[in-house]
Amino acid sequence: MDEPENIIAYRQSVMKAISGHAGAIAAVAKGQVSFVDDVAAHARGIDAMSHLITQLFRKGTDNLEYADTRALPDIWQDWSRFETAAKDLQRESDKLVEVAEGGGDVAAIGAQLQNVGKACGSCHKPLRAEKN
Amino acid sequence: MVRGAYLVRVTGCVACHTDPQRKDAPFAGGRALKTPFGTFHTPNITPDRTRGIGAWSDADFHRALLDGRAPDGRPYYPAFPYTSYSGLSERDVRDIRAYLSTVPAVPRANRPHALSFPFNIRSLLVLWRWLYFDPVRFAADPQRSPEWNRGAYLVRHLGHCRNATAGAMRSARSIGTRSSPALRTARTGSKVPNITPDKADGIGRWSGVDITYFLKTGFLPDGDVAGGAMTEVIDQSTSHLTDADRAAIAAYLRSLPPRSGP
Repeated sequence: MDEPENIIAYRQSVMKAISGHAGAIAAVAKGQVSFVDDVAAHARGIDAMSHLITQLFRKGTDNLEYADTRALPDIWQDWSRFETAAKDLQRESDKLVEVAEGGGDVAAIGAQLQNVGKACGSCHKPLRAEKN
Repeated sequence: MVRGAYLVRVTGCVACHTDPQRKDAPFAGGRALKTPFGTFHTPNITPDRTRGIGAWSDADFHRALLDGRAPDGRPYYPAFPYTSYSGLSERDVRDIRAYLSTVPAVPRANRPHALSFPFNIRSLLVLWRWLYFDPVRFAADPQRSPEWNRGAYLVRHLGHCRNATAGAMRSARSIGTRSSPALRTARTGSKVPNITPDKADGIGRWSGVDITYFLKTGFLPDGDVAGGAMTEVIDQSTSHLTDADRAAIAAYLRSLPPRSGP
């Protein structure tokens, strides 16, 4: 149990859950679908996942050790930066829940989703390797 | 002035000529661009008369932007995307210059580039220019819509997307106008994806709104947020565009011939 390979695969499932919810909200924000009432559920999903992130990055599960991950060793070299980025996502996804539960319109949801995306990017840019 | 402020965002002037650690001194340069050829240090383009470009004439500015040469005639490295800017309209060049002359002058001295041999030999640029630099002014295609033409101008010239992705987009033009491999990775060393409408290798499965939403927010159609060099382009440039300009970019990209391959 908890072998590095399995932790990496699990971590990727959690990240895919986040992007799945974000993609669903984005489809609403883009005006591609009308399910605006579902946004709060998706936002709660992102918010819940955002609190799981840091513990999934166990030392030694970087892309130098394992080819299947894009997690850069810099995550562990500057752990506080990584934690700060994770907290940014927690804060922004929490706000997205508020906006959606408060009956925010598509524009308000889209604006806050943009802030969630910034939080994602602020970690992906420096700490995730590019796709091969 | 408002036009100029918008243009320096679209072109990336502000992103590249600002040290990320010194956001309080925009356009004062000092940003390090790490490339396979060494590190470029972007210069000060504030109106400071000795350390910036305050003493430049309008003709100097025009030549720098469209012909890639310093006031003393020396060629610039193509890390400065003048191969794209060569197609800018006279009005846009004037408005960019007018705006830059209003930003606060910062007396920050330029730092020399730290390039490896043989790229540190500036005279070799004469050969590079002869091979690859073919300045072409943008001419609207009357067969196409105004939106398409605006998109073409944004992608090829103002936004210099084509400069970064030329290998992937590989327009069917002669070798003289094709970007060299060096140029393609020169600015960031980052991988550049195929953004032609090829369904397998490009973005052929993206709708127009998928493209505009990505340029505005960074969200890919599957909900992932890309990292890499594009994150900053979105943050500094494309998220500030008007909806009409983002739609024009999408319309142009979707009209390109699909190309397979990375």
